[in-house]
Amino acid sequence: MVTILPDVETMVTVLYFGLFAMSFDFISGYTGYLSFGHAAFYGTGAYFVILVANGKIPLLGTGTPFIYLLILGGLVAAVLAVLIGAVSFRLSGVYFAMITLGFSQVLYVFVRDWDFVASNPRDGPAVLGRTEPFSVGVPGVDSLDLAIGQLAGDSVEGLLGVLSFGTTEVSYYMIGLVVLVCYFAMQRIIHSPFGRVLVAIRENEERAEAVGYNTFWYKLGAFAVSAFFAAVAGGLFAGFQRSVSPESSFYFLVTGDALLASIIGGFGTLAGPLYGWLFDETVTEFLSKAGEGGGLLPYLRDNLGQATMTTELYNGLTVGQAIDTFLNGHAELYVGVIFVLFVLFIPNGLLGTVRDRLGGPVGKQVARRLRGDEK
Amino acid sequence: MEFASTLANLVVMAGFVDALGQFLRPENLASVVVDGLAKAAIYVMIAGGLTLIFGLMGVLNFAHGSMTMIGAYLGGLLMVFAVGGTSSGATRLLVFFLALAATFALLAGLGGVVEVGLIRRLYDRPPVYQILLTFGLTLILDELVRIAVLFYGMQPTSDWQAALGTKPWFLSESVDLGLISVSGLSLFEIVIGTATVAGLWAFLTRTRYGLIIRAGSEDAEMTEALGIDVRRVFTVVFALGAGVAGIAGTLLMWDPAWGASVPLAADTLLPAFVVVIIGGLGTFRGTVVAAVIVGMADAVTTWWFVNEIDFASLPEMTIFLILVMMLILRPQGLFGVEEVGGH
Repeated sequence: MVTILPDVETMVTVLYFGLFAMSFDFISGYTGYLSFGHAAFYGTGAYFVILVANGKIPLLGTGTPFIYLLILGGLVAAVLAVLIGAVSFRLSGVYFAMITLGFSQVLYVFVRDWDFVASNPRDGPAVLGRTEPFSVGVPGVDSLDLAIGQLAGDSVEGLLGVLSFGTTEVSYYMIGLVVLVCYFAMQRIIHSPFGRVLVAIRENEERAEAVGYNTFWYKLGAFAVSAFFAAVAGGLFAGFQRSVSPESSFYFLVTGDALLASIIGGFGTLAGPLYGWLFDETVTEFLSKAGEGGGLLPYLRDNLGQATMTTELYNGLTVGQAIDTFLNGHAELYVGVIFVLFVLFIPNGLLGTVRDRLGGPVGKQVARRLRGDEK
Repeated sequence: MEFASTLANLVVMAGFVDALGQFLRPENLASVVVDGLAKAAIYVMIAGGLTLIFGLMGVLNFAHGSMTMIGAYLGGLLMVFAVGGTSSGATRLLVFFLALAATFALLAGLGGVVEVGLIRRLYDRPPVYQILLTFGLTLILDELVRIAVLFYGMQPTSDWQAALGTKPWFLSESVDLGLISVSGLSLFEIVIGTATVAGLWAFLTRTRYGLIIRAGSEDAEMTEALGIDVRRVFTVVFALGAGVAGIAGTLLMWDPAWGASVPLAADTLLPAFVVVIIGGLGTFRGTVVAAVIVGMADAVTTWWFVNEIDFASLPEMTIFLILVMMLILRPQGLFGVEEVGGH
């Protein structure tokens, strides 16, 4: 049995990391300012949730509802973004990318050694003191509130008499709900006059200024909004995993992953990064190590005959060894190759290319063709 | 409560003043300076190639760290193969210089191929695409090295001990310089770093080709109009930058603080960026000065961490704080002219 699509647990990560990639695209893809330190906001949201749960943030009890934590963490990140942006937006291009990278690395090394956050800050904090689960829904209304998490989450039995969901599936739907709401919010902002100005800045900033927009404030506003959603994504990540490490949150390669997702999905298309990350995770999972839900490796091992496996390819290297060497957990290589090919030949990404072919956003075009409208 | 905290503060202050007194003693200061120069040599080696490439082509090469890492492994490979357990120090040193030359040549070849095969296609696109492409290249190179290293049964995440073991004995010893004793490796690094800087500087200012490179970085169109094939110059510069990264990697392979491992790519990339940006993008002089500043800051904060302040990432954090301060006060860097790149 070869599995091609990722399993549900991976899909949960696709959702929250996709949201982070979308927030990265919101600033970088729409204004053209490459925010290379975006992981700082993701990390802020993630650490905020865990620190409150461990009772380390004053004024907030350990049992504060998760939804409030997401919003508060987002606001903290937005304030941080205003501080960083106020300095950084005097620069542009490579310099902007580098100064944001600098800020995020300062935070990364700080968090990695600050024993306030955890007893062993290098490994990062985990939820210890909280008895309430992290639940998504309407706080205080038990029937409209479902806990997320693989072990601590709720499972649903017999919804509408027939549907049952395990904890991971519940997490998938509830986290998906938050991501969807955030996506619609960002979509709304992009299609507002404010969002149009961001695109104008990307296309020609001098002209946007000449028309009379104070581009600095627009960029700062967009940066704060983007940071807010990045922190929500980080909060979802922390809520689902119940522990974070500096490497998985503040490190600059986390931003690199968001960049990867944005380029593969489509830079400057808001939904694109989610598809990009889904694509990336699918490839990764398909090529992952045996025993981690990998698709290709177990399949080849099961279906290639003994004779094939022991055939010598070159210099004592058998087919079996070659498969182990080049497929066992080396998805990064193939993701990298795909990424480079995308940059070279499909610069608009998956969604961008589809839109170009259809001549507009997918939803509108499909509807138009179904109705049979003339252009 | 008030009193207790004041008292605690006083005790801390007293300790701090004590440590400051320690720090300002000539032998400590001298050893910190030598340490700083050694670190500066490392930084200038890591960042030199990056500056060359950016100065001429405006390409911020994200794969530079990976190239340094590949250089470390290649240099280590040559050393491990050529040096037996009984080889004398002088033989090892000789082989090391051969390894330097070999990694330079190999990495320069890799750089040339990368430029012709990949980067050349992107000159007419926004500069962000070059960052993206080289970032993707980093993923590929790192993973290829990891596959190779695992295939030969080595640990890709920890330093390659066999390569560290090829160091001649006199580099592991301390050298007495009257007031202070300095590790031989630090002196060696300073020598190699100085030689690299001098060599590059001579190449850029004293040779005809260096003149062409500088002209190309000033004004590529005008250089083209004068009948010089700028595209070939680009290839040569990219090869040269990658070659310098290879030399830097080979040097790092002997330094226990760095060592050859796959994460070396990320560990060298960020300091290289910081040094290049502080110095001003694309100015070689700026990079040298910035490397000295960053190296000194690193050495001073390392001393403070060892002796007084209990915060392991203090040196690393200082480096990034210097970067941020620099960009706030003087975005174009110490010797930078104006912004390169942008929209």
